[in-house]
Amino acid sequence: MQPALSFEQAPPISVPYRFFLTAPLFGVVAGLLLALLGPAALESRWAPGALAMTHLIVVDFMLQVMCGALLQFVAVVAGANIWRPRLVATLVHPLITAGAVLLASAFLLEQQVLFLLAALTFAVSLGLFLTVMAMSLLRTPARGMSIYVLRLAVLGLLVTVVLGVILASTLGMHENLQSVWSLLTLINVHVAWGLGGWALMLVIGVSFLVVPMFQLTPAYPVWLTRLVPAGLLLVLCLWSLQLLPGLAGAQAWQSAVASVGILLAGLYAAVTLWLQSKRRRRQADVTLVFWRGAMLALLAVAASWLALEALPQLGSHARAPLWLGVLALPGVFLSVIIGMLYKIMPFLNWLHLQRLGGMATPPPNMKQMIPESAMRGQMRLHFAALLLLLAAVLWPALATPAGLAFSASCLWLEWNLVGAARVYARFRDKIRAAAAVASTS
Amino acid sequence: MPEPRVIDGRGMEPPEPLELAVAELGKLAPGEELVMLLHCEPLPLYFVLDRNGYGYRSELRADGTNEIHIHKI
Repeated sequence: MQPALSFEQAPPISVPYRFFLTAPLFGVVAGLLLALLGPAALESRWAPGALAMTHLIVVDFMLQVMCGALLQFVAVVAGANIWRPRLVATLVHPLITAGAVLLASAFLLEQQVLFLLAALTFAVSLGLFLTVMAMSLLRTPARGMSIYVLRLAVLGLLVTVVLGVILASTLGMHENLQSVWSLLTLINVHVAWGLGGWALMLVIGVSFLVVPMFQLTPAYPVWLTRLVPAGLLLVLCLWSLQLLPGLAGAQAWQSAVASVGILLAGLYAAVTLWLQSKRRRRQADVTLVFWRGAMLALLAVAASWLALEALPQLGSHARAPLWLGVLALPGVFLSVIIGMLYKIMPFLNWLHLQRLGGMATPPPNMKQMIPESAMRGQMRLHFAALLLLLAAVLWPALATPAGLAFSASCLWLEWNLVGAARVYARFRDKIRAAAAVASTS
Repeated sequence: MPEPRVIDGRGMEPPEPLELAVAELGKLAPGEELVMLLHCEPLPLYFVLDRNGYGYRSELRADGTNEIHIHKI
């Protein structure tokens, strides 16, 4: 049973839009950083530039959009009352923006105090966000697989943030936690929960609802909706056992657990692509192509992981994790996010304008909110930038053109989203003007 | 009783049926009915109907089609 959508609960449009309109700007910054630093940023996953870019993408791009979308989605889909959404957005939005800038600067400048400030900023902002989300999701009477998976995703974010704050504080105090945990173990568990437990879990939970609804596909098979989220959770718990002192060195065992998680992700991607091939309408819109690209990238992550496991001389290469990172971040997550933004913003524009204008001033057609040609052009540039980024991992001399292409793609996205927000503002003003004329006559 | 207007949105990608329905609502004469055929429960449409003085009832057909009858209150 799909949960009901409750539009009376929708927070003001400014709540999600501030997150949506900020996020691509940090993609622009991350791309420029790569262009500026050049091949040095792609030496290994531990290169300061690589760490800074990664956190600009995962926090200031992905987390921004996901927070904004969750504030909207949880209210509308779960029918949950979010505690003072405008206040939460006003506090959380600037703080996570600042937190990621502090963290990226800390990596680049290797300044301990910046790590500490970033840890403090994230602890406060995401602590508040998580508390509000958890309260809403636990109290909602709505049932269904999407709600259950959303709860798991919020748990995933909680674990990621706790480990991230511990890591940033450790780097900030320059104190070694090696007596308890090695830094690498903490990072392994932090990354797994961030990418698998939070980002992928959220994509999975949202897809169970939006793929059949918006892409006119059959529903996900019930066995898959039970197996993949629960299986991923189990894998993450087993993976986290490496934090226990006695189990830290059991590498073969950890590698088997990780491979099961990767296979589950690959299975989810394959089923999503299969469902999309069964859709009732042949014409493919931009959102569908973004989703397909994302699922192909997820399959490529799974195939690459297994290949790197099978070929240790390749798997131990310093740039192997970067290959996986590029496939996962711009390839899987940014593709889904951009595709969804192109669906969500026109719909929210329309819904809020309809609520404002009623039947007297009908809102413009949703297809007019962002020109189709602009979305398609940006999509082509996004996938071209993805291929260039992958090529740059193989041949770091391509770092500068790849960074510039990625930056340009994010800038174009920003332009398209700002255009949609301007359409909203223009019609809102028109409706208000018409209402003012009507009240004076 | 006039023939109802019908929107068959079963092959359409959301939110196209919603937009078509809202465009038709303005043309609905008193006593006239708008019938929508959909594969899902159009909750955003119910929200629009509730706020703008329209009544509706939905019936689930055996083939899974949701048939929504809309009228002006």
